[in-house]
Amino acid sequence: MDLFGNLALGLATAVQPVNLLYCLIGVVIGTAIGVLPGIGPIPTVALLLPFTFGLDPTSAFILLAGIFYGAQYGGSTTAILVNVPGETSSVVTCLDGHEMAQQGRAGPALAIAAISSFYAGTIATLVICLLSVPLSALALKFTAVEYFSLLVLGLLAAVVLAHGSVMKALAMVLLGLLLGLIGIDVSSGAARMTFGIAELGDGIDFVPVAMGLFGLAEIMANLERPPVRQVVSQKVRDLVPSVADLKAAFPAMTRGTLIGSILGVLPGGGAALPPFTAYAIEKKVSKNKAMFGHGAIEGVAAPEAANNAGAQTSFIPLLTLGIPANALMALMIGALMMHGIQPGPQIMSEQPQLVWGVIASMWVGNLMLLIINLPLVGIWVSMLKIPYRLLFPAIALLCCIGTYGIANSVFNIWLMLGCALVGYLFIKVGAEPAPLLLGLVLGPQLEENFRRAMLLSDGDVAVFVQRPISAGLLAVAALLILVLMSPTVFRKRKEALAE
Amino acid sequence: MFRPFVMIAMAAWLAIAALPATADAQSFGRAVRIVVPYAPGGSSDILARLIAPKLQEAIGQAVVVENKPGGSGNIGADAVAKAPKDGHTLLLLDVGTLALAPSLFPDLTFDPQKDLAPVGMIMFAPYVLAVSPQVPAKSIAELVAFAKANPGKLAVANSGIGGMNHVTPIRVAKALGIEWKNVPYRGGAAATRAVVAGESQVIFNGVSATLPFVKNGQLVGLAVSGPARLPAVPDVPTFDEAKLPAGDAGTWQGLMVTAGSPPELVARLDAELRKILAMPDIAGKIADLGGTVKADGPAAFKSWFADNVRTLGEVVRENGIKGE
Amino acid sequence: MAERRRGDLRDLLFGGFLIAVAGFTAAATWSLRVGTAANMGPGYMPRVVAALVLAFGLFFVIRGAVAAFHPIAPPQPRGVVFILAAVAAFALLVTTAGLMIAAVATIVIAGFASRETRPLETVLFGGAMAVGAVLLFVQALKLPVPIWPW
Repeated sequence: MDLFGNLALGLATAVQPVNLLYCLIGVVIGTAIGVLPGIGPIPTVALLLPFTFGLDPTSAFILLAGIFYGAQYGGSTTAILVNVPGETSSVVTCLDGHEMAQQGRAGPALAIAAISSFYAGTIATLVICLLSVPLSALALKFTAVEYFSLLVLGLLAAVVLAHGSVMKALAMVLLGLLLGLIGIDVSSGAARMTFGIAELGDGIDFVPVAMGLFGLAEIMANLERPPVRQVVSQKVRDLVPSVADLKAAFPAMTRGTLIGSILGVLPGGGAALPPFTAYAIEKKVSKNKAMFGHGAIEGVAAPEAANNAGAQTSFIPLLTLGIPANALMALMIGALMMHGIQPGPQIMSEQPQLVWGVIASMWVGNLMLLIINLPLVGIWVSMLKIPYRLLFPAIALLCCIGTYGIANSVFNIWLMLGCALVGYLFIKVGAEPAPLLLGLVLGPQLEENFRRAMLLSDGDVAVFVQRPISAGLLAVAALLILVLMSPTVFRKRKEALAE
Repeated sequence: MFRPFVMIAMAAWLAIAALPATADAQSFGRAVRIVVPYAPGGSSDILARLIAPKLQEAIGQAVVVENKPGGSGNIGADAVAKAPKDGHTLLLLDVGTLALAPSLFPDLTFDPQKDLAPVGMIMFAPYVLAVSPQVPAKSIAELVAFAKANPGKLAVANSGIGGMNHVTPIRVAKALGIEWKNVPYRGGAAATRAVVAGESQVIFNGVSATLPFVKNGQLVGLAVSGPARLPAVPDVPTFDEAKLPAGDAGTWQGLMVTAGSPPELVARLDAELRKILAMPDIAGKIADLGGTVKADGPAAFKSWFADNVRTLGEVVRENGIKGE
Repeated sequence: MAERRRGDLRDLLFGGFLIAVAGFTAAATWSLRVGTAANMGPGYMPRVVAALVLAFGLFFVIRGAVAAFHPIAPPQPRGVVFILAAVAAFALLVTTAGLMIAAVATIVIAGFASRETRPLETVLFGGAMAVGAVLLFVQALKLPVPIWPW
């Protein structure tokens, strides 16, 4: 079947009233859990799984997929409004999105996040239709060697995230790597730095660290500042992005979509790489670099687009190879099996209606999300009118419940408490936490792939430059170091710091 | 206007308060928890969520599934081992991994044989031994020949240290007199991907995850564990036929309870579990997971578990496998 | 004021923190096997990363010591102490006293962190948040946590 035949079949399936209904339910639930920090899509999908047994598999899958990309939408809302990133992907949105909110521009930030996500969702749907076969071949070309090089590049790019000192950002990446080492070592089963605490066995969870370093530490710092914080504008003009905003955001979301589409396909890359990379690149190519970290609209548009595009293309390995790209896709495989559908490389030819129906429903769902979310922007912004003396205890409570909820673990709350204290120290010394979080998320994969590559190559380091994709990635990384360390950059940064 | 509400509330309270009075020894007094010691979405989690509503119907009490992931399942198991001994806290998990835990982790905070009691086995899903098509081997004999001619060339992908899936390749290599590198991955899906991509060459993994690739030609099936050949691939011999050890290797899912719980309640759970597993829709879903129902009660479970703790412990010691 | 004082306190403090973390990591992972390049042990990466963190720590300490004096904003304990206490109260109460009590306690204790807090308003708000949290997280989202101590 050709592309148009496939798309027509998919659209015909997706717009059946029953499927439209389940798509709507899925994206509404997804948005809701995305907004609530700590309650992620994975437990929600697991919880709803048994309820989908009675449904037609296509409807069930449309519902579950809707929860997944709906949650990507909702996550940015909490990040922008209260600086609490509920998942890895919204850390980057905090940087400029929350800054915009503090300047009274929460409305445009939320609207641009929604528009970018819709735009990326539309393009990513086309990418899945047109390119899923070549992209899945790319996914299979990535072995431990290529992953290692990609991760090195990603970690170096993280340095660009911080708008302060390069050296401090590098040190923060390393601290993140150290935190990531905690837990049972995947390659040997050894317990490292767990101090006999069973909860540390599987490593440090991302959510308590992020909520401590961002949400709680920010509250402590805010309380020390003179009380002139919230400037919430009532005017509608300030709720919608201006033409200039859209003009600035458009190229950023296009680049973000492109980056997200490619990185999303790579299994194991995780939700962290697309938004972080998109932000780093945007900051390099943007005309108003100085605005980044101080409320640049491109700094919201690019990572949001990359995040949503990546979320959608992460379905490609599942649909073409039967291999899940992340934990949620693994859960989707379980869902398919419970419906009597054998996931695997043959799924596209054996279940065209399911596959193309789900793909088309993603676009329909993204449209629904845009329609639902744009009117919500006003409501969300009005939440900021709650006086800060009530808002901050509520955020603290939400952080506690969310952190407990990810693994039903009281230990995580204590961990968050420790991170809040360290985060407060970081604010005092002017070190930004975003690079640390990327180090924490990517560190275990970096080590794992490095050791695996060395094990398979009998300890020959040359493999990293012998394989072309890996060599190319490392070359870009080397170039990045040169640019970062070049004296002109140093001078510019000193000037920026001096002001 | 509050009156009717108060009346209803009082009635409800009285009804709840009256429950234990009418209860006999085989009744459950309050909500039952099924602890799944892994993140949502695995076979154990799916099984628990399939069984929970049926059990709820049978015992007339809420049955809640609770995921307590971490430490290869040991955190959740420890929580159940230390729960009140009242039969209201259950554990559904991969019992093969649990049988390995005492020998792999000397610091284990509980004794699976003393602190946990079996209710019943639920399902068994056999392994498929498959190789990448890049390996010129269509049978175990050819695989052995290749491995002997090319020492150190083969890498076997496992889904993580400390599972059945990690120990089985070591047992098999020893029995065949060959050597291969054991390369750990994060989960079965990542291991499968690596072998399909040709990064590693050999894998022992569950039927439902592996067979699609075998049918598709992206993997070559060489043997299946379990008592009989699989109808889907009738030409692939069993481990026993191929003279491989570890004939019962695979995923064993079982239901356990805190040791010392009232025997009447355990007996009731066993009886209800058997009934639930006999339901056609449940059996069908288990078949979809690539497994077969194993409903043989606490006694059979207990001896299976004791056997495995012993044999797997020997394998662990002989090969110097450590949780370090 | 102190025209001869030197030292960028931000760099000195951050550098000291890094050195402490590096030392702690090295001590905690010293017994792990380092292994060879072809077959690395679990101790390989911790040692490499700890050495790098140590290097960065020394860099910041030296840079901070030679730089011109720069203070850090003096910490005000009130916010820090009560926010941390609120989180600690939640951790201690949530599984024992239930979500209702834990939520009210968290909101009220956190309220002490700000001078602007009005006691009665905070207590009422805490009660409302607690009910909302129970309805949303326990009833709708099935978070396995007790609502009340009994």
